[in-house]
Amino acid sequence: MRKLLVFLAVLFFAAYSWAQELSVDEIVSKANNASYYQGKEGRAKAKMVVTDAQGRKRERQLTILKLNLKAGGDQKYYVYFHKPNDVKGMSYIVWKHVGKDDDRWLYLPAMDLVRRIAASDKRSSFVGTTFLYEDISGRSIDLDEHELIASDPAYYTVKNTPKDAALVEFSYYTVKIDRNNFVPMRAEYFDKTGKPYRTIEALEVKDIQNYPTVTRMKAMDLNSNSDTVTEFSDISYNIGLNDSIFTERFLRNPPQQWLKE
Amino acid sequence: MIDKLVAFALKRPKLIFSIILLLVLASLAAFTRVKVDTDPENMLPEKEFVRVFNHEVKKEFTIYDYVVLGVVNEKDPNGVFNPETLEKIYKIAGQVKKIDGVIGYELMSLANKDDIEQAGPGAISFRWLMGEPPYTSADALRIKTRALENPLFYDTLISGDGKALCIYVPIKAKKLSYRVARSIQKVLKEYSGDEQYYLTGLPLAEDAFGVEMFWQMGISAPLAVLVIFLLMWWFFKHVALVIMPLVMAIIVVIITMGLLVWLGFPIHIMSSMIPIFLLPISVLDSIHILNEFFEKYRTFKDKNKTISYVLNELYRPNLFTSLTTVAGFFSLSFAPIPPVQVFGIAVAFGVALAWVLTVLMIPAYIALLDEKKMGSFGVHEDDIGKGRLSRSLAAWGRFTVLRWKQVLFASVALIALSIYGITRIHINDNPTRWFNRKHPIRVADKVLNKHFGGTYSVYLVLEAKDKDAQVFLEPQMLRYIQGLQGYLFEKGSVGKSTSLADVTRKVYYELLGGTKKNKVIPPTPQAVAQTLISFENSHKPDDLWHFVNPDYSRANIWLQLPSGDNQQMSEVVRQVDKFFKMNPAPFALSYNWAGLTYINMVWQNKMVGGMLINFLGSFIIVLFMMTVLFKSPVTGLLSMLPLTVTILFIYSLLGFTGKEYDMPVAVLSALTLGLAVDFAVHFIERSRMFYAENKSWPKTAQEMFGSPARALIKNALVISIGFLPLFASPLVPYNTVGFFMFAIMLVASIATLMILPALITGFPWLVFEETKVKAVCSCGKCILMSIIIASTVAYILLGYKLARLNLTTIICVAVIAVLSGTCWLVSRQKTCKDGT
Repeated sequence: MRKLLVFLAVLFFAAYSWAQELSVDEIVSKANNASYYQGKEGRAKAKMVVTDAQGRKRERQLTILKLNLKAGGDQKYYVYFHKPNDVKGMSYIVWKHVGKDDDRWLYLPAMDLVRRIAASDKRSSFVGTTFLYEDISGRSIDLDEHELIASDPAYYTVKNTPKDAALVEFSYYTVKIDRNNFVPMRAEYFDKTGKPYRTIEALEVKDIQNYPTVTRMKAMDLNSNSDTVTEFSDISYNIGLNDSIFTERFLRNPPQQWLKE
Repeated sequence: MIDKLVAFALKRPKLIFSIILLLVLASLAAFTRVKVDTDPENMLPEKEFVRVFNHEVKKEFTIYDYVVLGVVNEKDPNGVFNPETLEKIYKIAGQVKKIDGVIGYELMSLANKDDIEQAGPGAISFRWLMGEPPYTSADALRIKTRALENPLFYDTLISGDGKALCIYVPIKAKKLSYRVARSIQKVLKEYSGDEQYYLTGLPLAEDAFGVEMFWQMGISAPLAVLVIFLLMWWFFKHVALVIMPLVMAIIVVIITMGLLVWLGFPIHIMSSMIPIFLLPISVLDSIHILNEFFEKYRTFKDKNKTISYVLNELYRPNLFTSLTTVAGFFSLSFAPIPPVQVFGIAVAFGVALAWVLTVLMIPAYIALLDEKKMGSFGVHEDDIGKGRLSRSLAAWGRFTVLRWKQVLFASVALIALSIYGITRIHINDNPTRWFNRKHPIRVADKVLNKHFGGTYSVYLVLEAKDKDAQVFLEPQMLRYIQGLQGYLFEKGSVGKSTSLADVTRKVYYELLGGTKKNKVIPPTPQAVAQTLISFENSHKPDDLWHFVNPDYSRANIWLQLPSGDNQQMSEVVRQVDKFFKMNPAPFALSYNWAGLTYINMVWQNKMVGGMLINFLGSFIIVLFMMTVLFKSPVTGLLSMLPLTVTILFIYSLLGFTGKEYDMPVAVLSALTLGLAVDFAVHFIERSRMFYAENKSWPKTAQEMFGSPARALIKNALVISIGFLPLFASPLVPYNTVGFFMFAIMLVASIATLMILPALITGFPWLVFEETKVKAVCSCGKCILMSIIIASTVAYILLGYKLARLNLTTIICVAVIAVLSGTCWLVSRQKTCKDGT
């Protein structure tokens, strides 16, 4: 009898802990939501400082507006440049689609020119920083195979291998995800020879309107020895952004109420 | 003193050999620490501005030294733009990236470059030019069209005819280029087919030369030794005796090089030439001795007595020739080029050592020889002068004495002709051309520079005076740069240039929808900035920083030259200077040059100019020594005459044949001086000795054209023929050395045996009367003497930077004035008048 009780107890605990361990897809999906889909919409100011191998610094200041059409699904972004002075007024709109290519538009005020950027791939630089477009708008989770390679009391570590290796420059990347709030804390990309060549790190996470939010992050390019630190400020969620802002019309006439410095 | 030395050597041969053996072993041990430095950049001191600046520019604009890999496909109608070739190139680029020493991230190839293009109406796209190998011919041709339309790729990464493309392989350090090139070759082996692969680039040429030079040292020098041995064997017909001078020469080389290594000097391109220089110079003295020994042995029939006699006889001329050679090479220590200084001092040391060893080792060695085994060595006194050589020489002697006027006239004519030839000399150099025409690097150089804008990179860096004004975002400034590029291209010395203006224009053109009228610079600084930030959305935004710094205060124009010739580089520099003078820049700026091609021009110019001054300096110093040795400025000058004719004649050959005056030629001028004067020293010194006995020039001349002339000719033949194997080397500087050895020895010996006897016949007082009349008694001679002394003093002061030009000039003038004045007073003394 006692033996049976012990056996049942063991079974119970085993089942319990098994139930506690999420599947890798759940982890990835939660992490995706935590990093890109907080709130219904929101805005933040970003200061990006690029430091190159020689220690030279370049700065970009911008405002990012974001609208979620569906959690974990399509999104719209509006990016407005405040600095450097020569590019002030430059703006981007991104319509992010899950399952197909994003739409991107670029507005250059000096030539009063709107250009659609045909996204052959999204792994090009975000305005000369160490961040890529895909880092800003998020990489669709269904582009990769996910595998939980480590799990400790603080973090999950997920290895992501692209389904179509020809489309990207990495062979795989790993992401360390905070167990408590599912914020990805560190991503490490490995090149085709298996050597790590770029990392993205969350340097600071704050609770903003109850959403755990990365407020400082750093991308490093180990090949060129440069890095970019992005600092987000004036972050606010659910401010009532209108879908109409994310259209070509607003590229030429920026929605000033959301862009005040 | 010489008697004691020889006596000692004859008495204690074993001791001498033990000491020498120890020295050799110690020197050989030093070789374990040998460091090799084949970087010609080190021809300039490390702190030289151009090197510091080059370093700075490379860092600021993340530029590297590149090995250039060219791929040519002449068989396919579409050239390299067919799926197969492109796939190979794609794979090769991938593998080359991984080679140790290659900076894979910065590799420039079609497979690693981003392209901006229109993608339908109102749309642009950034995509890898060749993100993956194309599957169809149409895909391949699309890549061609795109690449040809991009000014960043056209004529740099792909050729205008589409037959060829280049991969620029950046390397971590120049000294790795040879190894990297070999690894690339290994990779290429897997991709044979219709494609031809070529590897070139200045860093590779320089490094490969360094490596192959050591190979050549290992082949050419021993080969020269072998040929010299065979010739001497043929002359003196005694192996054991002939081996000795050669062994001694090798010992001199080993000890000199060992000392150099031991002192911590790296073996540089220059110092690697030391053995080639020391070998012939070291055996020269011995050949004179052997010749005399050979002819006198039968007279004495005792080897020890013979050698004592011979060394006594030849002691003074051998010492003189060694001293002058030492002085000639030592004066290279004044050169502004560190490796040349090391070279000069080392050779000077080697020559001095050779003299000491000759005096000690030859008698010691002869003492050890078994007299019985000397056998039939030497010639019988009766046979002397009966050989064909002797008969011809005797006839030659009679001819110069008899027809001295004609000889002198011919000499003057030759001098005039030579001077004309010298005026036609082109000063030029190019490390790629240190290889002969068939060398793979040379071939690659030729092929690739035919297809492309040029494989020689130079960087013209513009710097705004106002650092905060972001001058290089100004449209006027970019148009100015575009104008400069257009000007240079039109002039034809630059095959291709790439700048911020090209990047801006290309991106702006694509942004605006790509019609011809849009191939312009954007109208405002804001438009330029926004165009460039659009470019930064590409996969390789860092490419922008090769052309401008992030402050937009410095811009870098990459010029590709189809040739690495100094002349071409100088021409480009002149054109740029002219452009800036004719067209003032819209904003105040300064400009400077970087890149290996430019650095080479700087040090080579410095070398050529420096060596010329140095040569004149050595000439003065040797003249001064001659004056002292012969106790007469007139005889001193006379002894310099055959050498002057020789040098004029040999250098005029450069002018007549069109061979360029390059680095090796410049260095060899020092050798010319050191070797050519020897003949005159021997001739004059021994003439005086004979004259002192028989007091008759005709008799002296007859004797001179006996044994001394034979020694002279044998010397000339041994060295000139001994160095002929160098002609077979694939490295051009070795051919040059071979030619110079050959020409110097032959021309100098002929000039000496023609001009000196002819002049002495006409003006015997030049050599002989001097001994009777004190130099101080002739005002003219004394002023001459003063001038020689003053110039020597001036040269030494200037050479060692002990004085500035103005101060030295004053000192010299003062010295000359004072000495001449004294001369005049002294020459009016009574004793002199009595004497004459």
